[in-house]
Amino acid sequence: MDDIKVNQNPKLGSMDRPNSYIGRSLPRENAKKHLEGGGQFVDDLVLPRMLHVAFLRSPFAHAEIKSINVEEAKTSPGVFDVYTAKEIDEYCKPWVGTLGHLGEMRSPEQTPLAEKIVRWQGEPIAVVIANNRAQAEDALELIDVDWEEKDAQVDMETALDDNAVVIHPELGNNLFWTRTVNQGDVNQAFKASHAVVETTLDFARHTGVTLESRGIVADWNKAEGKITIYHNGQAPHMMQHIIAKHLEVNEGLVRIVSRDVGGSFGIKVHVYPDEMAVAAISKKLGRPIKFIADRLESFTTDIHARCHKISGKLGVDKEGKILAMEINDLSGIGPFSMYPRTSAIETNQVLNLSGAPYIIPNYKAVGTVVFQNKTPMCQYRAVGHPIAVAITEALVDKAATKIGINLHEIRKKNFIPDNAYPNKTPSGVPLEDLSHQASMDKLLDMMNIDDIEKQKESNLAKGVLTGYGVIAMCEVTNPSPLFYGVGGAHISSQDGASIRLEGSGAIHLSSSITEQGQGTEAIMKQIAADQLGVSMDSVRVTLGDTDATPYGGGTWASRGAGIGGEAVLKAARTLKENILDIAAAIMQTDKNSLDVENNTVIRKNGGEGITLQQLAETVYYRGHELPKGTNPELLATASFLIEGIPFVFTNSAMGCKISIDQDTGIVKIDKFWAVEDCGTQINPKLVEEQIKGGVIQGIGGALFEECVYDDQGNMQNATMADYLVPMAYEMPDIIVDHVTTNSGRSIIGAKGAGEAGTGGAPAVIMNAINNALNQLGKEVVSQPITPEKILKALGKI
Amino acid sequence: MKAPDFSYFEAQNIEDAIKYKSEDDEAVILAGGQSLLPALNMRLSSPSCLIDISKINNLNEIKIEGDFINIGALATHSDVMNNDLINEKLPCLVDILKMVAHAAIRNKGTHGGSIAYGDPAAELPAFAVAMDAEIVLSGLSGQRIVDAKDFYLGLFETDLKSDEILTAIRYPFLSHNQHLIFDEVCRRHGDYAMAGLMAKVELDQSKINNLDLVYFATGDKPNVAQNTAKLVIDDGYDYEKLKKSLASEIDFAGDLNSSSEMKLHLATILINKILNKLER
Amino acid sequence: MSAKNSVNISFSVNGENFDDVTVPTRQHLADYLRSQGLTGTHLGCEQGACGACTIEMDGKAVRSCLILASQANGSSITTVEGFDDEVMEKVKNNFLKHNAFQCGFCSPGMLMTTKEIISSKKKLSRDEIRAEISGNYCRCTGYQSIVDAIEESINEIN
Repeated sequence: MDDIKVNQNPKLGSMDRPNSYIGRSLPRENAKKHLEGGGQFVDDLVLPRMLHVAFLRSPFAHAEIKSINVEEAKTSPGVFDVYTAKEIDEYCKPWVGTLGHLGEMRSPEQTPLAEKIVRWQGEPIAVVIANNRAQAEDALELIDVDWEEKDAQVDMETALDDNAVVIHPELGNNLFWTRTVNQGDVNQAFKASHAVVETTLDFARHTGVTLESRGIVADWNKAEGKITIYHNGQAPHMMQHIIAKHLEVNEGLVRIVSRDVGGSFGIKVHVYPDEMAVAAISKKLGRPIKFIADRLESFTTDIHARCHKISGKLGVDKEGKILAMEINDLSGIGPFSMYPRTSAIETNQVLNLSGAPYIIPNYKAVGTVVFQNKTPMCQYRAVGHPIAVAITEALVDKAATKIGINLHEIRKKNFIPDNAYPNKTPSGVPLEDLSHQASMDKLLDMMNIDDIEKQKESNLAKGVLTGYGVIAMCEVTNPSPLFYGVGGAHISSQDGASIRLEGSGAIHLSSSITEQGQGTEAIMKQIAADQLGVSMDSVRVTLGDTDATPYGGGTWASRGAGIGGEAVLKAARTLKENILDIAAAIMQTDKNSLDVENNTVIRKNGGEGITLQQLAETVYYRGHELPKGTNPELLATASFLIEGIPFVFTNSAMGCKISIDQDTGIVKIDKFWAVEDCGTQINPKLVEEQIKGGVIQGIGGALFEECVYDDQGNMQNATMADYLVPMAYEMPDIIVDHVTTNSGRSIIGAKGAGEAGTGGAPAVIMNAINNALNQLGKEVVSQPITPEKILKALGKI
Repeated sequence: MKAPDFSYFEAQNIEDAIKYKSEDDEAVILAGGQSLLPALNMRLSSPSCLIDISKINNLNEIKIEGDFINIGALATHSDVMNNDLINEKLPCLVDILKMVAHAAIRNKGTHGGSIAYGDPAAELPAFAVAMDAEIVLSGLSGQRIVDAKDFYLGLFETDLKSDEILTAIRYPFLSHNQHLIFDEVCRRHGDYAMAGLMAKVELDQSKINNLDLVYFATGDKPNVAQNTAKLVIDDGYDYEKLKKSLASEIDFAGDLNSSSEMKLHLATILINKILNKLER
Repeated sequence: MSAKNSVNISFSVNGENFDDVTVPTRQHLADYLRSQGLTGTHLGCEQGACGACTIEMDGKAVRSCLILASQANGSSITTVEGFDDEVMEKVKNNFLKHNAFQCGFCSPGMLMTTKEIISSKKKLSRDEIRAEISGNYCRCTGYQSIVDAIEESINEIN
């Protein structure tokens, strides 16, 4: 993607300045190391006297440990020791994955290792500590466990039946959480509707499959009473609090370091029992302990997501105006709610976001979340959006077909108009600064629907099923304290940036936002250099170290640019003011006649300036030369948070064209378009890459990915060969364009862009497939839409 | 996912390898390792010893021997794909190998390894059966030749005896009116197929004189559909008729990616795809 | 003849000789290389399916997780740390230009596969490029920018 041509945000200054970097698709020079083998991932770290662990994990979905004998395992070559819950519980307090702001949530305490009952296949029960991973695995085979297998609750649809297996008897049943949203009167509105359409969709469990698996090196330094944890997590300050709380250590003596992370997508923002056990072991032994999840254990222990069955109903008037929408959503999580963000959030977002682009005066949404004996579930990129958008857009398509108007026409009739903000979602969540109309118009320009309709017709005559879809969606980004903090979670919604001019003239910037490859470092640099007036290569950035960065929330919910970026902007501007104050004093002139350009304080009207290096040298080494009363502060810190609304939303319109091979059931994605309005784009290329990567990830869920379980709760396809992630050959090129509506909540005006692709792609793919199948009066209602499901829908099998 | 411990023996010649294998029935042969090492890493296999035969000279030669093209067991898939003789005399094999995994696997995986392993979802065992290939085995009592169609007995079960090592596969030349046509249906490029078909067709003008249909990824070994082939010769392509015939002569076994019903359906339409390819 | 649980081997990596080093028989080559500080080669699955561990051995791209260190005896190995030729410089520049990587974890393996594509000297279509990299898993980019970078590299170099 090219640089932005038109100045997308005049508040940031003219784009004609020499140091205008915001809006430019600059390459990530700092990331070049990844092409040289110079990444620093957790598994690359080797510390003196470091030991390695391997976990014995339950092979059963539900069982009791009658007895466990680790004595023989302890004698295995290279083994230092073997622990069960008894040893770990001494060093780590249990936790509960509930928050207080979403109504009643019930989840029992969870310990790092299961004590007596195991409740999901993969739950850790013992840990071997050895000189290397291979020797640790050898010892696992020598641990003797006397199991008593129990019936497992693996079907979410029967989890609340009278004869369900109640996973936590003390809770009485398997209900984790439920919520009802009721706006207006849907029953009345359906009665008054000219047409009512219904559908029930189901979505399979799937998981993130980050190429770099979860990993941690915990290093308790006995002499200092301090623990340093090298972690490939997304939220270091959150982890700092949690380690301190559960290991009972002063928070100031916990340092979390997150260097390079090989993909996270929300998988690495949660608290995992095996990682907590590693921290506990390090505290107990006073030695560095390393744990890297291997691929097999990643499939059964990384959080899963997106298992929903949702029924929906939409009522429209004669012209196609939506009068009412009703959804009923069921989701199955694991046996525990995940800590600290809770496993209710995905369903909550389904309830909050269904129907979001449209004016729907009557809206009812019921969400039920039940426990199962399966891998725990929690937030994964585009949390809940794939379901919310899919149910909404499927119903809208059905309504359009029923009353005989175009797919895009019905949407345009119902959009919240671009000039009608602030407004609200049907569920009542505040919306601002969106552009559904402009985005859809742009999408239609790109797609040429008339052409596609002609192709559909001619292809049908040849026996080829072609279909297309157009969807609109809102994406949750830049969350405020009303997301987690309000419920009691120590998850910061405020982020900070600290910037300084050093004696060499170099600029150092640190931010509480973290990097997992999306380009955090690059965009922070662009913002700082742009607002300060310095070259890109004079800025270096520190991220991901709780000792060395400001306090903040890290990266999740697409908050980096909008929240972290604003903090950087403010800090850079403050530093610039300080520099100009000092320069004015040194140069004996009015501050307003000066500016900073190319690392130099220049006189706007010409004449000799001074370089930032010269200015810094004066301040640091020859302070006596400064006029009396000058405040020589070449350092600034600023912070930012979103206030008053729960989220800043981004909107997106997507379209695709697909063809179905009627013999094999294989779907080919011929074309895919995405229009994204994420406000100010710091680096358009990086935004485009988020959309493209996100779309492909969404296509994975739509067509390929699912965690397959047998009726005993064992995952059947937990290997890289059997779990089908999107690979290059089957994926389309994606055409991306933008509309720009800046967020009024910040100067930088940037909203998040990381998740729309994943949130919208499943809906538009499903709609396109049904658009094709409808030509024969058929449809599919279940994701992933496998060839087998297509053939079944076509009646071929 | 670290392999369990085992000892390692680098064989310098085939006789030493055979001797070692016959003396230790928990020892396994290491050639390309592309199927063995994943099994070891996942601890699905705990052999006592790996007998590495990959350094033995002259086991990777591709040459003409009488009426056969002889492919040495250690020829890698890449060796075979890039070989002039194969490209000239057996180009269908090059096309087939393009469907096998990915380049890095093909650079190491061996022809003999794939034939000996007998993965029911793999292309080469079915290809060997369709081509009426001969499998050359070397054991304590010398060389033994087995017809490919008699080699595959059950799920990962072959006629390889405990003292034998597969050393070569011989493919008879295809005459000018014989063609080996194949097709497969898979979820992602390079994956194991949901169902695949190797068809050896003998034409007389544009009429099919002879037809061998050998399926892969449909059951526990390459599945020969003799009766169905006859129906195709006699009556051409009729979906319902052929599906019924296939159902009666092959025991389709479903897997993660496709049920037995789906495999039966795919097996049927694959015949149509083959016939279409033939027309072209 | 005898079998052992560790072997002594000699080979070269990026031009550096490893003479008579002892390796456990069961250790795969990726783990061995990483234990020597060559951590650019990554582990993603230890099953050969993700491509992250791809290195060059005797001129060919191979999965280092599916090769025992013992099998490297007498071999010449190149890892991502050892790319110092003009061709790979151009490839890396194109990867940077097109942002053909985000987290960087798949990049070493992706570059290895790209090297083999370029060495074949074939002019490939975008579809053919996609087929060639279909054994390298990337979760971040969605592959399009990688295809862009390889396409431009082919046009530039071949």
